[in-house]
Amino acid sequence: MDEIPKKPMLRRTKPFDWDSLRQRLQASREAVGRELTPDEEKAVLRKRARALARQPMQEEAGDGLDCLEFLLTYETYAIEMRWVAETCPLRELTPLPCTPPFVAGIINVRGRIVSVLDLRQFFDLPQKGLTDLNKVIVVHNGGMEFGILADEILGTRSIPLAEVQPPLPTLTGVREEYLKGVTAGRTAILDGARLLADKGIIVHDEIAE
Amino acid sequence: MDIEFQKRLLATFRDETREHLAAITAALIALEKSAEPDKRQAILETVFREAHSLKGAARAVGMAGIESLSHALEGVFAAFRRQEAVTSPALFDLLHRATDTIDKLLLTGETYGSAATATPVRELVVSLEQAAKRALSRPSPPEPPPAEHAPLPESQKTPPADSAAASDTIRISAAKLDSLLHQAEEMLTLKQAASQRGAELREIMAALSAWEKEWKKVRPALRRLRKLQPAPAGHPLTGADAAQPGKLLAFCEWSHDAVKSMELKVRGVAKMAANDRHELDGMVDSLVYGLKEALMLPCASLLEILPRMVRDLARERGKDVELVISGETVEVDKRVLEEMKDPLIHLVRNCVDHGIETPGERRRGNKPAAGRITAAITLNDSNLIEILVSDDGAGIDTARVAAAAVRHGVVVRDQAERMEREELLGLIFSSGVSTAPLITDISGRGLGLAIVREKVEKLGGTVTLASEPLQGTTFRMVLPLSLSTCRGVLVGVGGQTFIVPAAGVERVTRIDSGALRTVENRETVELEGEALSFVRLADVLRLPRKERPGADGGLIQLFVIGSGASRIAFAVDAVLDEQEVVVKGIGPQLARVRNIAGATVLGTGKVAAILHPGDLVKSAIKGAAAPAAGAYAPEAPEAVRRAVLVAEDSITARTLLKNILESAGYRTVTAVDGIDALTQLKTNEIDLVVSDVDMPRMNGFELTTRIRASREFADLPVVLVTSLDSREDRERGIDAGANAYIVKSSFDQSNLLDVIKRLI
Repeated sequence: MDEIPKKPMLRRTKPFDWDSLRQRLQASREAVGRELTPDEEKAVLRKRARALARQPMQEEAGDGLDCLEFLLTYETYAIEMRWVAETCPLRELTPLPCTPPFVAGIINVRGRIVSVLDLRQFFDLPQKGLTDLNKVIVVHNGGMEFGILADEILGTRSIPLAEVQPPLPTLTGVREEYLKGVTAGRTAILDGARLLADKGIIVHDEIAE
Repeated sequence: MDIEFQKRLLATFRDETREHLAAITAALIALEKSAEPDKRQAILETVFREAHSLKGAARAVGMAGIESLSHALEGVFAAFRRQEAVTSPALFDLLHRATDTIDKLLLTGETYGSAATATPVRELVVSLEQAAKRALSRPSPPEPPPAEHAPLPESQKTPPADSAAASDTIRISAAKLDSLLHQAEEMLTLKQAASQRGAELREIMAALSAWEKEWKKVRPALRRLRKLQPAPAGHPLTGADAAQPGKLLAFCEWSHDAVKSMELKVRGVAKMAANDRHELDGMVDSLVYGLKEALMLPCASLLEILPRMVRDLARERGKDVELVISGETVEVDKRVLEEMKDPLIHLVRNCVDHGIETPGERRRGNKPAAGRITAAITLNDSNLIEILVSDDGAGIDTARVAAAAVRHGVVVRDQAERMEREELLGLIFSSGVSTAPLITDISGRGLGLAIVREKVEKLGGTVTLASEPLQGTTFRMVLPLSLSTCRGVLVGVGGQTFIVPAAGVERVTRIDSGALRTVENRETVELEGEALSFVRLADVLRLPRKERPGADGGLIQLFVIGSGASRIAFAVDAVLDEQEVVVKGIGPQLARVRNIAGATVLGTGKVAAILHPGDLVKSAIKGAAAPAAGAYAPEAPEAVRRAVLVAEDSITARTLLKNILESAGYRTVTAVDGIDALTQLKTNEIDLVVSDVDMPRMNGFELTTRIRASREFADLPVVLVTSLDSREDRERGIDAGANAYIVKSSFDQSNLLDVIKRLI
C-alpha cells in the first residue's frame, strides 16, 4: 500500500533570480582572466576535499512528511503525497442524483470516471463565503479512489515531523480522527489512510423491497 | 527440464484435459439416455478415443494419477464397446466420479505418488477394473483384452471435429482480448466526439451565413459612402482626416474578402471532416464489432454444465427428469456468459427441486413419469438474448407465495389478498420469500431468486416468469449480447442528460397532457388501451423540476419501462437521442447508487449517468404513496420572471449561484467568462448580470466596461462578485460602472438576493 508511485507535481516556482546570475557571471569572467599559482590551486583543491569529506548534515531533524498543500475555504490543508494520484482542474462536473450531499458529482479523468467529494460537506464544516472550488485532487490507496475538491493547490513540501503538533479540532473544525496533526503554520494535515479506509465515505444504497 | 517450460506444458495439458473431460461427461450422459445400439456404438467410439488421448497426454507430462485413471476408464469403455454391457446408474455414478477425480487432480497438479490422493485414486482404479471385468465376464465372443499400448490408427488419435480448423486457431488469454476490446470501445467516444466536431463546424458555417446576410444589408450604405470619396469640399473632415473614411471603407472591403475566403476554407474543412468522420465511423464500428466477435463464446460453455448437474440432482431427489437443451451455438459476450452461470444453475436447480414432481405424483396427475426441463437460449431480432428455463411440473402455488410474503413482511395480508395472480408471482423475486416447505440443501433459502434478479438487472436485462398450476413454470431472462456497450436512450431532465438502457425500455412516445387521469390520487396514462402508472423522472430522481410538464397543455414526452403489473410511464423534459454508449463504472467510492447503473462519456466530452431501470420501477412504486398533485409551489408566470446572467469560470461557484437564483424564482443564463457573457447578452433577454471578476479571456471589470460602453446595455445592472477585497479593487469596480460589489469571503445568499432585489 505504501509503494504507490509518486507522480510529478506542479511546484511553486520562484521568480528567476537575475541578480545572482549576473554576479556569478561577473565572478567567472574575473576567474578566467588570470592563472592560479600552484599554491593557490592546492588550497582550492584542499578546500574542495574538505567540503566533500564532511558528513552530510541531516536535512531535516528526523523524517518529514511529503505533503501536498491546498486551500479549502480560506484554510490550508495538507495530505501526504503517497495518497495523491494526481491533481487536475475541474472543468466539467456531472452531479449525480440520489447521492449524499458530500458527493459533488462525477468527472472524466482521461476516460475513467472518478467521483468527486466535497470535504466541507463530509466534515460538516461551516460554509463560509463563495470560493472557486475548481481543483480536484485524486487520492487513492490501491482499492479506493476518489477526488477531493479544493480551491487552490499550493504545491508540495516536506513537513518535518517535529513541526507536527497533535490536532486541535477547534482550530479547523475537522474531527480529530481524520487529522494526522496541525503545523505551527496552522496547516491541518489530513489522515489520508483513515479517510480512504473510512466506511462512511462509501455510498452503498440498495433499494429495499 | 526448464521449469518455465514445464509450467507452460502443464497449462496446455490442463486446457486439453478439460476438453477431454467435457467430451467424456457429455458422452456419458448421452449414453445413459440412449438405447439404440447404433448410437451407443458411435458414442462409445468417441469416449474410448477421448480416454485414450487423455491417457497419452497425461503420460507425456508425468501426471501418473490421471494416466492410470484414464487407462482404467479406457478399459471400461473398451469392454462396453465389445460387450454391449448392461449399464446401471451405479456404474455411471462410478464413471462420473472418475472424471471428477481427474478434474481434481488437474486442479492440484498432484501426481500419483502424492499421499493425499494415492489411496482414493487406487481404489477408483480398482473399482473401474472390476467393472470392466464384470462386463467382460458375461458370455461373449472371446477377444484379447484391450491392449492399451497397441497403437491406434492415426486417424483416431486426432480429435474428430475441427481438426482442420485447429491449425488456424491460436489460444490467447481472455484478459489480453478484454483489454483490447476495452481500448477499442474507448474509440466509440472518439467517434462521437468527431460527430460533435462536425456539428460545431456546421454551427460556424451558420454563423458565417448570418454574417453574410448582415453584410448584404449594409452594402448599399457602403456603396453610397464610396461615391462620396474623397470627401466633397465643405465637409467637416479636412486635411489628413479627409482620408480616414476612405481607409475605413477599404478595410471593410478587405475584411469582407478575408471573411469570405475563411468561409470557403471552413466549408472545405467541414466537408473533409464529414468524410473523415464517415470513414472513422466505419473503421471503429468494424474494429469494435470484430473484437466483440473475438470475445463471443458459444452458449455451449454455459449449457454444458447442466446435463450432469440435472442427472445427479434428479437421482438424489428420486425424480425422473429429461433435460432438453437448445441454443448451444448462439454466441454471446464472454462476460455475460460468466455472469449468467449462477442464475442459470439456480433456476435449473429450482426446476428439479420444486418444479418437477416425484414420478408417483406425476403418474397420479396423468403426466408422463419423467419430467421435462427445457433450457433454451435464442437470439431475438433486437440483438438481445433470451434465456428460457421451463419445466412441466406442478407450477407455483400462489397461495403459498402470498403466505410466505406475508410471513416475511414483504406485503401485508389484505394487500396480498387484493393481488392478481401475476402480481403474486412477482413476489417470488423478493428476498425472503420461498415456498419450499423444507429448507433443502439445494434451494429454498428464499434468497436465490432475489439474487437471480439482481444479477440479471445488473447486466441491464429483465427477468419474468409465468406459471400455471399443474402445467409448469417458465422463467424468461432477456439480456444484452454484450456488456460494456449498450444502446441507450438519451433523455433530458431538470437540465441534465441521463441515459436509459434501451434493453429496458419498452417504448418511447409522447402523449397529450389531456390523456392524464388521476385515479386514487395517482396519475395514470392510457397507452394502447391499457392504463399505466405515470410518474415524472425528475420526482423519482429528486431533481428540482422547473415547469410542471403538461400543466399548460401540450405534449408530454415519456418512456415506458418495467413489466407485467409494474409497467410505468416516466415523463421527461425531452427525449434527445438514441445511441451506442460505452458503459463505465462510477468508481469504488460509489459502490451502489440508487437508480444509477453507471456512466458514460458523451460525444461532447460531458459525463452522463446511466439509469438503472429496475431501480427506477422500484423507486417509482415506493414514491407513489406521495400525493401526485399539489407538490408544485405556485409559480410566477414566465413573463414576470426576471432573467439573470451569471458569469463565473468556476463550475462549482457557477452552479451554486445558479441554484440560489433559481430557487429564489429567477431565470438564469450562465457564461464561463466575459466573452461568453457578451455573446449570451446578445441572444437572451437579460435583466441583470452577476459576474465574477477573475475570469480567463475577459475579466469582470472589462466585461462591465464593455456593457456600459454599449448602447443597448448601458443601463443593465451589474453585480460584481469577487475574491479581491481591497479599496482599490472596489473603486476599480465602481469606476468600471458596476452597481454593486460583493466580496466572496463574506458572501452569503441573502445578501446577494437583497442586492438583486434592490436593483431589479
